Amino acid sequence: MTIIWSGMAIGAVYALVAIGYNIVFISQKTFNFAQASLMMLGAFITYVGIVVMQLPWWLVGIMAAIIVGLIAALEERIAIRPVKDMHNLLVTTLGASIILQGVAQLIWGGEPYRVPFFAGDQVISLFGGNVYPVELVLVAVVILLVIGLNQFSKHSLIGIALMGMSEDREAAQLRGVDVRRFAFLAFAFTGVLAGFLGLFVGPKTYAVATLGASLALKGFVVLAIGGFGSLTGTLAGGLIVGLTEALASRYIGADFANLSVFLILVVILMAKPSGLFNRQKERTV
Amino acid sequence: MLALWLKIRALPTWALPLLLGIVLLLLPSLGMNYGMTRQVILTLLLALIVSGLNLNLGYAGELAMGHIAMYAAGAYTAGLIGKAGITEIWVQLLVGALAALVVGLVSGVPGLRLGGWSLAMTSFFLILLIPDVLSIFKESTGGRNGLTGIATPTLFGEPVTENQYYVLVVVIAILWFAFMRNVVVSRHGTAFQVLKQSPVLASSLGISVFRMKLSAYALGAIPAGLAGVLFANLDMFISPEAFTFTVAMTVLAASIFGGSASVYGALVGAGVLQFGLNQATNFQEYGLIITGGFLLFGGVLFSGGIAGVGQKIVRKLDYKAAEQAGRSKGSSAENAVADVEVLQGANLSVQTVSKAFGGNKALSQVSLEAKPGAVTAIIGPNGSGKTTLLNMISGYYETDEGVIALDDLQIQGQPSYKVARSGVSRTFQTPNIPKNLSVIEAVESGRYSTQRASILQAVFRTPKFRRIRREDRSEAQRVLNLVGLGSQLNADADSLPLGNRRLLEVARSLIGSPKVILLDEVASGLDEDELDVLADLILRLREAGLTVVIVEHNFQLVLRLADVIYVLAQGSVMAHGAPAEIEKNPRVMEEYLGIVSDSDGTSLVGA
Repeated sequence: MTIIWSGMAIGAVYALVAIGYNIVFISQKTFNFAQASLMMLGAFITYVGIVVMQLPWWLVGIMAAIIVGLIAALEERIAIRPVKDMHNLLVTTLGASIILQGVAQLIWGGEPYRVPFFAGDQVISLFGGNVYPVELVLVAVVILLVIGLNQFSKHSLIGIALMGMSEDREAAQLRGVDVRRFAFLAFAFTGVLAGFLGLFVGPKTYAVATLGASLALKGFVVLAIGGFGSLTGTLAGGLIVGLTEALASRYIGADFANLSVFLILVVILMAKPSGLFNRQKERTV
Repeated sequence: MLALWLKIRALPTWALPLLLGIVLLLLPSLGMNYGMTRQVILTLLLALIVSGLNLNLGYAGELAMGHIAMYAAGAYTAGLIGKAGITEIWVQLLVGALAALVVGLVSGVPGLRLGGWSLAMTSFFLILLIPDVLSIFKESTGGRNGLTGIATPTLFGEPVTENQYYVLVVVIAILWFAFMRNVVVSRHGTAFQVLKQSPVLASSLGISVFRMKLSAYALGAIPAGLAGVLFANLDMFISPEAFTFTVAMTVLAASIFGGSASVYGALVGAGVLQFGLNQATNFQEYGLIITGGFLLFGGVLFSGGIAGVGQKIVRKLDYKAAEQAGRSKGSSAENAVADVEVLQGANLSVQTVSKAFGGNKALSQVSLEAKPGAVTAIIGPNGSGKTTLLNMISGYYETDEGVIALDDLQIQGQPSYKVARSGVSRTFQTPNIPKNLSVIEAVESGRYSTQRASILQAVFRTPKFRRIRREDRSEAQRVLNLVGLGSQLNADADSLPLGNRRLLEVARSLIGSPKVILLDEVASGLDEDELDVLADLILRLREAGLTVVIVEHNFQLVLRLADVIYVLAQGSVMAHGAPAEIEKNPRVMEEYLGIVSDSDGTSLVGA
């Protein structure tokens, strides 16, 4: 059970990355490679705020949200907006993510830092397994976030506008939606989210410069499993990836954790290319 | 100055690179020291990997990062068989390239199924797996500590000296770049560019998108595997350190900087990154930031890289030189009237076809018959399902029900490239013409799948390849004359005016000797003269026996050309018959033409 808990928690982290991907995907049909690197920055800022500056956790969360949100906004301006070709976008957002990783390595070096969780690091016994408070909170946060975002997209005007944009950008524009502004705000929001979530992600993964690369991949696997654009799908994807990784690592060997996840990705792409929670979309001319 | 330029351009394009290769070969005898030789070798190895990536990113249009894994596969294969006593370098190169090819195929198939980000991600994942896989086979690979004890390579049984090894690396690099260059300038290179521009277009020309991308990915594995083998034998030691994420990013940065869509850009990019940045002090600290900067600004600012800038300058100089030479050539066989050969049309029949997108019923129970040697027109207001119907025939959408057949061959449910290969060719509402191709190349791409010459035949320039290339040229010239573009063979296809781009599409759709041709609003945007050429051509195609289907808003043109007219409204056939009947059909006049009773039929609703 301990393994299940830990697998679910790491799965929740991957799902959080995938949610970031999804928000950008829904709002501008592009893919932000740097999403996970933004989360990595969130974890570092949390570390600095709580351990170095000894600030209260809520202030640290707000600080991280603002800083990372600004960085995301900057990324949108220089790495996304001027680029027209989708293939170039993959390259430029990858470039942005490498720069972030490089900056983190320059400032904090290559060693991982332990980030304390504000609600304590006491192990709890639950359903016959040991679990850290942060692991439970991570699972709760991701579920609440998905419910919240789903409600938001169905009931708020902005959410509906976003869904409209994802369906047909031109039609939304004709209905008076400022498509570029919305896309920009949605992008910046993923940064705010990534920064704030550093409070929860940091204690689980530690703050380390190379966090971005591995999170980016696992987040993508979650997305591929759950389906592009499906928020609910990220929950299932996160669960599958997290558990696979934890179980493979425990019962087969640590070297097999990534390999197992890769295998799952391959099987999913071959069997159901559009993901578990998506209808097959037809190509258009 | 310009005269000198013309002389340079008169040399074959491979002359300069070959000269560079010879200079590189001679460098050691000119007294280059060991440190420098090693740098050149490392640059060439990097250039080989970059060149493999370019085939994907620059030509097939897919971002892939797995070349480091293929590089590792080549290196470890060489290391392991070298340790086992097989030191003959040619054998190692062969086996290493094969190992890389296997890694490429296994990782490429799932990633390419989805395209876009999927290949980027699965190939990215591959890099992450390298240390894990090496550590699983710790016994033989040495895991994270690296593989030691690789024996000195031999060539025909003799140990290879340092100088000989340098020559070997340069020769392999020259051979690979010659190989790559021959692929890229051949029809395969054109097909790659079509694919990069638009998978939809590629499949309408009968090109299997998946297969084409996979072959680019697999082909790109070869230089990476070769580089791996050469790397393993350079230091006789390899470890996972040489195959990290950072190295993969250096490769990508070199590709972007040198220009992904070029053959020799890989050398420039590799040279800059190897000599420039890796030498810089503090590279360890700032390396990632610099690499990231290359990617970010390279992607934003110059999408063609250094090679792209070079190509632009060359084109400008060419243009200037041509201007000064007074345009002496080029206007030879201006618009010679070409003959239409006898064409074997096929009976296209659509029976009770329906299609719904979600709750929106786009077509319901549509039946249509287009006969060889006749022009069948489909008209109807916007949103009545005309283009949807064409797309169903071309295989872009699956039918919900009904049958689409060419003579006796049912084609519904077939992928579009197969439909195209069965003889259905088409034009698009918005002309779909790849960038950076000349008019004649763009038209030749229509013959890619009907006349086949393998990539290897292109590399070795076999007689069959040469024959097909000649036929490509003469056929393209012929169909271009048909549409009246015979004098613009070498113009940049993408920058033609709209009317000419439409005519170019018609030429492209004719070159593959189709049985059925679908023309989607081909007359819109044409001026009077072009319209006459087009109308005349359509009538001649009909005479020649082709099955012609046109979707058109210009009612007068339809009346002039069509033998049968089908009127679509809200997804079903409202009326069909000869032009004279349709013209007088009261429902057509009212609903489609918006004419209540006695006017003359010029005010179109849907136009």
